[in-house]
Amino acid sequence: MKTAILIVVALTSPAWAHKPSDAHLALHGEGAVLDGRLDIAVRDLDGALQIDNGDGTITWGELQAAAPRIAAYVTDRIALAGDGSACPITLGAAQLVDLSDGAYWALPVHATCARRPTTLAVTYNLLFDLDAQHRGLVHLDGQTLIARDGTPITATLGAATSTLSFVKEGIWHIWMGLDHILFLLCLVLPAVFQRRTARWQAADSLRDVVTEVFETVTAFTLAHSITLVISAVGLVTLPSRFVETAIALSVVAAALNNLLRTIDARWAVAFALGLLHGFGFSSVLIDLGLPSKELIGALLGFNVGVELGQAAIVLVALPVLFLIRRTLAYQALLWAGSASVVLVAAFWSYQRCFI
Amino acid sequence: MPRRDPQEVAERQALAQSPDRVELAVALARAEIKRARGLSDPRYLGRAQATLGRWWKLAEPPPDVLLLRATIEQSLHDFKSARTDLDQLIAVRPDDAQAHLTRAVVATVTADYTAARTSCAALEHLAAPLIVEACRAPLDAIEGDPDVAYRRLAAAVSDPSADPGLRAWAQGTLAELAIQRGDEAGAATMLRGILSADPDDAYARAALADVLMHQHEPAAASALLKGFDQIDNLLVRRAIAEHAVHGPDATRLVQVMHDRIAAAAERHDRIHMREEAMFTLAVDHDIPHALELARANWDVQKELADARLLATAATAAGDVAAAAPVTSWAEAHHVHDARLTAAFGGAL
Repeated sequence: MKTAILIVVALTSPAWAHKPSDAHLALHGEGAVLDGRLDIAVRDLDGALQIDNGDGTITWGELQAAAPRIAAYVTDRIALAGDGSACPITLGAAQLVDLSDGAYWALPVHATCARRPTTLAVTYNLLFDLDAQHRGLVHLDGQTLIARDGTPITATLGAATSTLSFVKEGIWHIWMGLDHILFLLCLVLPAVFQRRTARWQAADSLRDVVTEVFETVTAFTLAHSITLVISAVGLVTLPSRFVETAIALSVVAAALNNLLRTIDARWAVAFALGLLHGFGFSSVLIDLGLPSKELIGALLGFNVGVELGQAAIVLVALPVLFLIRRTLAYQALLWAGSASVVLVAAFWSYQRCFI
Repeated sequence: MPRRDPQEVAERQALAQSPDRVELAVALARAEIKRARGLSDPRYLGRAQATLGRWWKLAEPPPDVLLLRATIEQSLHDFKSARTDLDQLIAVRPDDAQAHLTRAVVATVTADYTAARTSCAALEHLAAPLIVEACRAPLDAIEGDPDVAYRRLAAAVSDPSADPGLRAWAQGTLAELAIQRGDEAGAATMLRGILSADPDDAYARAALADVLMHQHEPAAASALLKGFDQIDNLLVRRAIAEHAVHGPDATRLVQVMHDRIAAAAERHDRIHMREEAMFTLAVDHDIPHALELARANWDVQKELADARLLATAATAAGDVAAAAPVTSWAEAHHVHDARLTAAFGGAL
């Protein structure tokens, strides 16, 4: 543990009427990660670990010297498990905080689960052997659980997760995933350049362009919604390595189509490949911890989020492309851009399949 | 924080090495209970309980453990378990004066006056006459005539051959009887006498503060309690008194009390309902909630203070029927208490 930081030293300040011994473990989850703080009364730590030299006053030096022992005591006696698998804990640099009934040792707690937990088992076993009336108050997602002994206590998480939070997750999933952005740009890129009587030329009307892009994006949305639902409810599940590789290959296909122009109806390409992307979205959703009670809301929210994320990208890209459609820059972007996407996505496919 | 006693540290180490040595655990637990009382700090009760952890859940622990377990249970307001343990202890050790005295206290709190009388009677052969009188007098005052009970205990207290420590303790009981008779001024004089001999007698200080509040002298009550905020029973009374006089510490003390109440609720503690009801009634003026607390408190403990509180809350709510458990208790035992009658507006 790093050197503790001193916030308030008031160990000898007169305490108010005495409380029984409580410690607070406050945790909030963000995906698979849990962050929070553990507050333990310094006098309780002294009872357990004999921090004071016996004169009745705990000095800062004594606390600092005991910091590694305190950290070891805590990590030995607190464990978190998300859906049955351990979420290893690391402790940050402690601070001393002054609460109404005396000084508390405040330890930042950081735990990482394999994935976003739907149930969290908290094993809290501090101090009970010293003080049978000690209570560990575990504050989690707006609930407070009381540990009265070392028996694990279980909290259901995500019950309070709103549809809105899934909308947010959907948007972020699109924006954070380069493969989705590139796929989308590959579909939109040629839209401003349309085939007229066997020849390709710059589109005249923005309305035609928007209509075509709308058709393409709608086809993609429909397709991925179908596979997202059937996969999220467990009707069809595909191995994630296969899905991820296929998504990368779909990006190759979309970019190649820009170069070779084999399939004119881009909505058909979008639909076919959208089916694949739906499986990818559902694995994200399952990793987030799909609430069984609010499945519909979660699916709907996530899908709406994905659409909003896509719409934002299209709304930024399309006007720019329309303006530059007659320039050399556009031609360069279309050919060189598509070609490099082919290369990058081909490399991803190789990576995802074989590495 | 108390200094660490080297002898206690040595005993702890010895117990850690041979955890079966019940006599060591009992001595250490007794020291923790004494500390809990001396510092008015419940933390040390939990430590005493943990020290007895090896025997705590046994159906038939050694007699010394039974006595301490009952004492801790009583302090945590688990009167039922305390009574069971004391009955069991007396069955195996009928000459244990402390067991009889604690049993009398527990039985009185739960309004089982017959059992309390049996325990006081058992003390006749086991304890000093003043202890027996101080054990009996509150029962006589509740179930009989407070004047007669007062005179008998007053005579016993004035016996110069009695132990001075015992006399101070019995004087506190005598002051309670004076209050029951309606002699608040006489009680105040007695309580001041106890405090001048021992300023650390928190029980006498709380009782005197109550007398002053009853006499509509909150400023004097607050002054009396100043400097004793670390004792729960005195803190709640000073918060109420300061609030009444809009004193400089009112805001802070009220905040501290709200924090304490919230903290107790968070861990589902229900042992401060009497104090919480007092505070809720006098400071928050949340009469329905205070009445609810006073009723729940009456289900657990039935001392005169608890009866008065429920009567006061019910009267404040304009719902005397809500105090029906108290009126039927008072009728069943022919209770005469000046403050209770006043709380009912003279209607009892």
